[in-house]
Amino acid sequence: MILEKKIDSKYITFGPQEILFVVLAIISMIGLSFGAHALLVGHDNVFGTSREIPWGILISPYVFFACLSTGLCIVLSLGQIFNIEVFKPIINRTAFLSLVTMATGLMCITLELENPWRVPFFALLSPHPASNIWWKTTIYSLFMIFMVFNLLSLFMKNEKKARIFSIIALLTVTMGNLNMNSDMAILGGRGFWSENYMPLYFLTLSTLTGCAAILLFTWIANKLNKETPTEAENNALRATSRLFLALLVGLLYFTGVKIMGGFYPEFTKNPEAMYLLVQGNFAPNFWIGEVILAVILPILLVLLSRGRNKGMLAIASISCLVGTFTLYYHLVIVGQLIPHYFQFNVVGLPQYYSYTPSLHESMITVGAIFFFLAAFVFGEILFRKINFGK
Amino acid sequence: MKVNKEDNMKIEDLKKLSNEGIKNIPSVERRQFLQFGLAITGVFLGGTVLSLTSAKNVDGAVSGGKILDGNYPYSPHYTMVIREKHCIDCEKCLDACRSTNNVSLHGYRTDILERSVPKAPGERERIFMPILCNHCNRPPCVRVCPTSATFKDEINGIVRMNISKCIGCKTCMAACPYNARFFDEEIRAIDKCNFCYDTKLKESNGKITACAAACPANVRVFGDLTNPDTPAYKLIHSAGKVFWVLRPELNSMPNVFYVEK
Repeated sequence: MILEKKIDSKYITFGPQEILFVVLAIISMIGLSFGAHALLVGHDNVFGTSREIPWGILISPYVFFACLSTGLCIVLSLGQIFNIEVFKPIINRTAFLSLVTMATGLMCITLELENPWRVPFFALLSPHPASNIWWKTTIYSLFMIFMVFNLLSLFMKNEKKARIFSIIALLTVTMGNLNMNSDMAILGGRGFWSENYMPLYFLTLSTLTGCAAILLFTWIANKLNKETPTEAENNALRATSRLFLALLVGLLYFTGVKIMGGFYPEFTKNPEAMYLLVQGNFAPNFWIGEVILAVILPILLVLLSRGRNKGMLAIASISCLVGTFTLYYHLVIVGQLIPHYFQFNVVGLPQYYSYTPSLHESMITVGAIFFFLAAFVFGEILFRKINFGK
Repeated sequence: MKVNKEDNMKIEDLKKLSNEGIKNIPSVERRQFLQFGLAITGVFLGGTVLSLTSAKNVDGAVSGGKILDGNYPYSPHYTMVIREKHCIDCEKCLDACRSTNNVSLHGYRTDILERSVPKAPGERERIFMPILCNHCNRPPCVRVCPTSATFKDEINGIVRMNISKCIGCKTCMAACPYNARFFDEEIRAIDKCNFCYDTKLKESNGKITACAAACPANVRVFGDLTNPDTPAYKLIHSAGKVFWVLRPELNSMPNVFYVEK
């Protein structure tokens, strides 16, 4: 009786947002059930990966979401840690998005493992501190804990405590970002990641995607909640769009370096992979995905929007996010396609290994993306109900 | 200015001359020519700077262009020397490896690559190149493993697996420059060559591996680099002998060496 009394009618409403959440969650479950099946039957039977290409598409959403989370945390820090007034109105949503994107990334990597149940035991009982993967997993797991505490403190309006957790989370996730690069760079046999500019590239990409996500999901949230953003929120988004534009110019520079590597081998440590990316079979993906969608189109749209047209900024953000997802896919896959013994004149060795994501891998990726979308809508429902003590 | 006809000799004129043979060439020149030829062959065989290094100046293990001051870090320091041009691709080594170590049909621990190597203009030579885990002194696979499931044996330097700790992230597979690892779905862990650590090597008291024992042409010479009496040691420590490792540019310091014969 007492419990019933406590349940306010506003907590049991079932409107369009709730329906959307259920639909997204169902699609996510369908996708992720392919992951459960893959674990049961073994990845060799249902994944497109092989001895030669051991890392498939599932690494891409992991890197994408983990870097996105890093970027969101960096943008969050501008308001929450560095007290830049203009970024303060977007703190709550950014903190929540940072948490759920990391959760999505870790879920992707979990489903990419053949024996994920061994991780909690042997990561603790038999740690290998020389391994960047060990550090990365540990750091990102800790980051999630700090971020949960940050959010809880924000819910409880304890800004001082929230700020402390945010500082720790920022330090943690930045270390994780460096590990992400190191992890890939030390794969000596597949040197695609070992370019000198990689750490800065990762940091730029992370912050860039963080800005894009804020612009896009604030716009979607406003549409979902049928709200008109306040002047303060508008200013925050305008500031984010300026940062977004600056980082897009930075990405344009890195893309230029890649293009130079693709045409002139002396500019890269991995001429074979860069050639394959810029001029070879991956060229359409590269020019459309990494050049047009990730950089050129967003720059044009942001300039046209003048930071005011939210719809145009949202389209720029979608374009950038899709383009950077392609970019991460290339980073993971293209370097692996160069055969180990390519310089040995081996008879019957293909010029490039081949990899195509299987149905299971694609469905898990879709499941992960919808998991994130469902979590975002869930967050909006939660925010509306709790309203952060407004 | 008038050009002396003798100074302006053409290829047609050269063709008319008879071969003077090698008896009049000084031995120093002959040696230099031979070294040059070996160096070129080394390059063709896939080696880089290391291929040009004669073993006569070597005091210790040489791999990846590095000299380890005459000291080998393990005792015994197991190695395998591949006498490449002796291999006839009979695949007895592959069969022996599979049956001795119960290697699953999901993959293989060792393989033989067939190479078509440029020998002279318009001519190519077929060479069979056995490959296996190089048990590197700086193994990239060990470096990346998050749970120490793959590790370097502290006594003999063999890169081994503890399959119960393998989480199946396959980073070691991505890191291995030699394509020497595979994921075995039957044991749900990575499988790889361990120099028959728990099978033939154990039975033979550290003397030989299954593939080396099965080879009819003595292509795979297994041995201990700390023991100068072993054939493997002698093969890469003979004066003037050219040997090389695969992909030395990665500086992983492999312990599988290649010689021509």
